Amino acid sequence: MNLQCVVLQSDCNNCGGILIQYESAAGLCPSAGTVLWRRLRNSVYGCSWRRCSCLFVCLSVCVAFCSNGVEPSSRPAADRTLVRVQELTPHRGGQLVWVRARIHTSRAKGKQCFLVLRQQQFNVQALVAVGDRASKQMVKFAANITKESIVDVEAVVQTVEQKIESCSQQDVELHIERIFVISQAEPRLPLQLEDAVRPETEGEEEGRATVNQDTKLDNRVIDLRTTTSQAIFRLQSGVCQLFRDTLINKGFVEIQTPKIISAASEGGANVFTVSYFKTSAYLAQSPQLYKQMCICADFDKVFCVGPVFRAEDSNTHRHLTEFVGLDIEMAFNYHYHEVIDSITDTMVQIFKGLRDHFQTEIQTVGKQYPSEPFKFLEPTLRLEYREAVAMLRAAGVEMGDEEDLSTPNEKLLGRLVKEKYDTDFYVLDKYPLAVRPFYTMPDPNNPKYSNSYDMFMRGEEILSGAQRVHDAQLLTERALHHGIDLEKIKAYIDSFRYGAPPHAGGGIGLERVTMLYLGLHNVRQTSMFPRDPKRLTP
Amino acid sequence: MSMYQVKPVCGGDMKVDLPTCMYTLPNVHAQQGGGCGDHALQNGEVDPALKALEARQDEIMRKLYELKAAVDGLAKTVTTPDADLDATTLSQSPAAAAFTGTADLDSLLGKDLGALRDIVINANPASPPLSLLVLHGLLCQRYRVLSSVHVHSSVSSVPPQLLSCLGPRHTESYTRHRFQLGFTLIWKDVPKLQMKFNTQSMCSIEGEANVARFLFRLLAADPQDAVTATQVDSWVDMAMFQLAEGGSKEQAAVLRSLNSALGRSPWLLGQELTLADIVCACCLLRAGQAASPPANVHRWLQSCRNLGHFDCVYPLLQ
Repeated sequence: MNLQCVVLQSDCNNCGGILIQYESAAGLCPSAGTVLWRRLRNSVYGCSWRRCSCLFVCLSVCVAFCSNGVEPSSRPAADRTLVRVQELTPHRGGQLVWVRARIHTSRAKGKQCFLVLRQQQFNVQALVAVGDRASKQMVKFAANITKESIVDVEAVVQTVEQKIESCSQQDVELHIERIFVISQAEPRLPLQLEDAVRPETEGEEEGRATVNQDTKLDNRVIDLRTTTSQAIFRLQSGVCQLFRDTLINKGFVEIQTPKIISAASEGGANVFTVSYFKTSAYLAQSPQLYKQMCICADFDKVFCVGPVFRAEDSNTHRHLTEFVGLDIEMAFNYHYHEVIDSITDTMVQIFKGLRDHFQTEIQTVGKQYPSEPFKFLEPTLRLEYREAVAMLRAAGVEMGDEEDLSTPNEKLLGRLVKEKYDTDFYVLDKYPLAVRPFYTMPDPNNPKYSNSYDMFMRGEEILSGAQRVHDAQLLTERALHHGIDLEKIKAYIDSFRYGAPPHAGGGIGLERVTMLYLGLHNVRQTSMFPRDPKRLTP
Repeated sequence: MSMYQVKPVCGGDMKVDLPTCMYTLPNVHAQQGGGCGDHALQNGEVDPALKALEARQDEIMRKLYELKAAVDGLAKTVTTPDADLDATTLSQSPAAAAFTGTADLDSLLGKDLGALRDIVINANPASPPLSLLVLHGLLCQRYRVLSSVHVHSSVSSVPPQLLSCLGPRHTESYTRHRFQLGFTLIWKDVPKLQMKFNTQSMCSIEGEANVARFLFRLLAADPQDAVTATQVDSWVDMAMFQLAEGGSKEQAAVLRSLNSALGRSPWLLGQELTLADIVCACCLLRAGQAASPPANVHRWLQSCRNLGHFDCVYPLLQ
């Protein structure tokens, strides 16, 4: 090996070799599989370089290397400021910068090694070339760094004439002068990120690999690093934030409701049971009861964001056993349509906020999962149930006046509404009383119908809401009519006995709304660590 | 004894030749020490005689204004030609002529299946369809119409007058099925105006003229003889293509033909208001040629204005 070096010490404390300082960057000994890497100073120490032809890394003071060395310790950063990959643009041309990123790909070609460095949604091409700043060993070292390792590079930002299409930073390239490995990844990754981002159709056409959903979900940590996943969850964070901001501006109060409850709220068998000291309790199916109690407690307008647990054994593309529920409840003055207007206005503000501020994320997701952009009307379109039935009958579906809409009928209705009004979001008002839960207020003008409503996005239901019965006696009658045991809901009925305002509300699922807004096809793609009847980890 | 005496420079009473070409003012100096003291008024009091005078004057002015308003109203009704749409030709039997109109809608638009018959119009906010707004006003007089305005997500914002162009929100909009007809206007980024009614059996109708023809058929039957029908169509097309989209020469030519046609009759096609009048007037107003039109055209535009249906159009012209 011909390297510029300086002999520092004639024997290494550990192995008795010679300590040498090199001009160039750090190296990696493939035989030292258990070396602990840590933040490096700018000198490299080698030892016994006659015995193996690679370089070893050592802390500047101590000489432990090549075996389970000294515990890593945080050292104060030298005079380095790390620049984000996002900020590597032509205006930084010629500057010497430090960047910390992951190795996305690396490709060696003789005297050069091309690396793509990735940081969240952004990536940039980097080049290590043999020259006065880099040696052949350094190029070889860079080529051998495993994918997904986190590295620190010191490099010069160079503008390029031809745009680099495959990177997000298309106008610049990094010419690396020094490179250090901060955290090394194992050589064999369970899935390749490029495969995870490849669209399905491209995979079929060109015969390239794509990763199927189960593998992605089993190795969620790596799958979440892809540009698509980053974009999806940033958008989901935006949905939650817009929901909160819009409602706070409308004068709502955020509440937190208990999730361990003593009785099933919606009725039915879809509750998880937990052991609670000497007895058992249930996990809340929805914050319904507690929202209503807050209204009776004079909070007037409330919303809550929290987990919802449904023990439904359905393995469909849109059901999870645990999801995040965004629930609203509001007291109104004269007509429950005030509440519908408020909820639809909140949804429209969320859609507008996503349309105006999250276009980058929407385009990124669109590269892997192309779909039509989401369209909506302001104010939101509101149709009546009998209109929907008439539209479906005109399209050839046979159904009764008081029959509930099945999933295929909902999808067909969504398509019909889209054709006529060109909107993906609408409200269906005045559902038949027979298909709604016992606490729904009947329509005063027509006993067959009720003051309840559903909201649809892209033909799938996202919200089911209604005006609630706020009179204890009427509530008791309705519960008896539905054959519900009054003892179980005694606390619920009692909350309306001491003056309750008329109120209405509804709840949406965060994952489902994100999935439908982006036009994705499976709700597990929008749930970070999804839970369904067959999946409990990660 | 006086100190010193100065001889008078000029004689005491000078005869001044006052000019008579201008107006004369009373001599200010002669009034001094005169009637001011007798009629001194304290604290801004007004002479009661003055007050009575003012009151009489106000009374006379008020009566004059009332008279003026009455005369204006009379003038409008006298000079505006008769503009009732002849609806008796709509249904077959004369006995059913006084029907509320639902049966007419059934025959025109197909059987009611229990849903609101909703007419959906997608229009570009850059060029609002004025004739459709006028027709909407006429429809509202004839049937119970539920009108609503929406903004599509492809448009970021529209000026407020476009949001209220269909008038105030109906108080009973809670119950859609009580209305006979729905009129939904959606401001959307479309290249050409579009109307959708029954997506199962009808394709969408494009172009303001065609939608206007469709809406007018809900109000009055097509003219019975082919000549009048063709003339109506010809005027409508002339308005849409030459007046709205043509160059200044074409517009001038259309104005001349309008002028000559209106010289013969109060409305374009005789004694009755037809679709041709509505569309031509709207195109004329939008093209901005209404500033200095020929005499007949000007009279005709005034008559249109007096009808009251065109009131919704004027706020959108600014």
